[in-house]
Amino acid sequence: MEYFLQQLINGITLGGVYALIALGYTMVYGIIQLINFAHGEFFAAGGYMGVIFITWLAAQGVHPYVCMGLGLVLAMIYCALLAMAVEKLAYKPLRRASRLSVLLSALGMSIFLQNGLMLTQGVYDRPYPSELTQGGFEFGMITISYMQIVIVALTALLLVGLNLLVFRTRIGKAMRATAQDKTMSALVGINASRIISLTFAIGAGLAAAAGIMVGFYYGSVNYTMGFVPGIKAFAAAVLGGIGNITGAMIGGVIIGMVEIFAAGYLSSEYKDVFAFIILIAVLYFRPTGIMGENVDDTRV
Amino acid sequence: MKRILFFTCAFALAASVAFAGDVLKLGSMGPLTGPYAADGNDIKKGALTAIEVIKDDGGLPGFDDITLSPQDTACDPRQAVSAANKLINEEVRAVIGAYCSSATLPASEPLNEEDIIMLTPGSTNEKVTERGLPYMFRVCGRDDDQSKIAIRFMVDYLKGKTIYLVDDKTAYSQGLADNVEKGCPAAGIEVLGHDHVNQGDKDFSAVLTKVKAANPDVFYVSLQNSATGALLVIQARRMGIDAKFLAQDAVYHPQLMSIAKQAAEGMYLTFGYQDTSAPAYKKFLARYKPKYGDPGAYSAYAYDSAMSYLLAVKKAGTTDPEKVREALLSLDYEGASKRIRFKENGDSGSNYIIRVVKDGEFRNFWNPATGELY
Repeated sequence: MEYFLQQLINGITLGGVYALIALGYTMVYGIIQLINFAHGEFFAAGGYMGVIFITWLAAQGVHPYVCMGLGLVLAMIYCALLAMAVEKLAYKPLRRASRLSVLLSALGMSIFLQNGLMLTQGVYDRPYPSELTQGGFEFGMITISYMQIVIVALTALLLVGLNLLVFRTRIGKAMRATAQDKTMSALVGINASRIISLTFAIGAGLAAAAGIMVGFYYGSVNYTMGFVPGIKAFAAAVLGGIGNITGAMIGGVIIGMVEIFAAGYLSSEYKDVFAFIILIAVLYFRPTGIMGENVDDTRV
Repeated sequence: MKRILFFTCAFALAASVAFAGDVLKLGSMGPLTGPYAADGNDIKKGALTAIEVIKDDGGLPGFDDITLSPQDTACDPRQAVSAANKLINEEVRAVIGAYCSSATLPASEPLNEEDIIMLTPGSTNEKVTERGLPYMFRVCGRDDDQSKIAIRFMVDYLKGKTIYLVDDKTAYSQGLADNVEKGCPAAGIEVLGHDHVNQGDKDFSAVLTKVKAANPDVFYVSLQNSATGALLVIQARRMGIDAKFLAQDAVYHPQLMSIAKQAAEGMYLTFGYQDTSAPAYKKFLARYKPKYGDPGAYSAYAYDSAMSYLLAVKKAGTTDPEKVREALLSLDYEGASKRIRFKENGDSGSNYIIRVVKDGEFRNFWNPATGELY
């Protein structure tokens, strides 16, 4: 039982990370039907920018925990700007081209960003100040580290914030309108280009937050770290019903849980396989995903 | 006219070959990108240092220059073979590398067919030298020796009764973990479990929960990559696993401490003995450190690999592979990593000891030959 509970906690933490990345996939898909394969790279860039900002702030004599918070915000802003630049450069000129061209452009962007990270930051792992995140609670055999709590709490907080933004504000209304019909929304005075740009920015900001938390949780970041979580988050978005925010969240947690339980009860060699078995099964039996039935009302 | 042109071309070609003969071309192979890039770059730097030292000492008679062509294998078997073919086309005389056994094994085949000598500074899988390839040499130790030392340490010093093993499924890491697992029952150690993780994994919480539930005396960490080893150690400590950590030579890298920091303290590793007070090591360090900083785990092995070849060429007075091979086999060279005397199969013998992480640095800890502490 204790073993099960511990694995459950591990699964929720990992699921939270996937969910945050999956939000970006699902939002971008919702608004321009593009699977942004460069999204995993925003996650990696966020991890790097986080440690760069935190080290810089610490060198200025700022309190460590203020560094963490401020570093998080700065890295999110940086990645949001990066995503807007990427959108302008690689996707906007292709808006009227076939979907395949945009998809290839996204793949190219992913490789470009990954190599850019390698060339500017070096091939070595970049350590995080892990002494800030040591410790946790113990309940008998079960350990919950502070970082696990932070990840789950921050994920929940960002999700609530995002939901408020999409469903309670004018910008959110404009996003939903653009997602439904770009031409019509433009006719009623919504600047579709700006809304699309904003969607990219928000998605990348969330991925950057995930990148920093992963950096703290695991202890280091690496330029290749975006690829596998990116693909898994994509699977999560499809599982939840791509284009649906709550769906992406649920999908992320499910993928994280399945991975941990597969590793814990079957064999850790095959844990990656299960995420993709789910992806195939969803595409086969329920192509719209879990939250698929009301996709038109709630998608961004 | 045509004939004149032909002769001019032929002469130019012959001349270029003659001039090319004045440059001794070496190649190096290792992962320069990807998760193992730290070790691959160390190999490149080590080989370059050897060339510089030889040049300082007056170079090689008959050669105006010695060059190195570093190739990236990314620890991928296919990329390693294409890197080997590229080096063959560049007409190198010898190759220093590769790092991952899974890359060295396939890459050594075409190199041997072309009679190019290969000296590996980092591939410890037994098969590397057991395929009867005449031009395959190894400067580091062997996995079967390394696993024996690990078991002896667990029995004699740690007095461990139970063990849990984790590897990441490379030819090297799994081969080593399998060797340890096989040797355990005879030594009276019970194997509680043997798990495999994937290369590039960052989340080990599921596996570590298993390890914690099994509660072994010794936790054997066999990973190809020191950064991954650091992540595993951080997460294991955070989870409260209080087993003794025993890792191996691929986890051995300054990177381990820079990432894991406090979590790496007290961790044991099997690694080749290095006499850092020896003149040969000091000579290597004096040339290496100002240019590249602190040497990595395989820098000295790569230096010795290149050095062995260059000394053998000097001794043989030619780069003819058969003669250089004979010179290599009769070589007795006090290197930066150890004293090198190659055996008929290309091995140079293992000299593994146990090291420990203490106060953020690697310290010699236990001598398996005497069973005493350093």
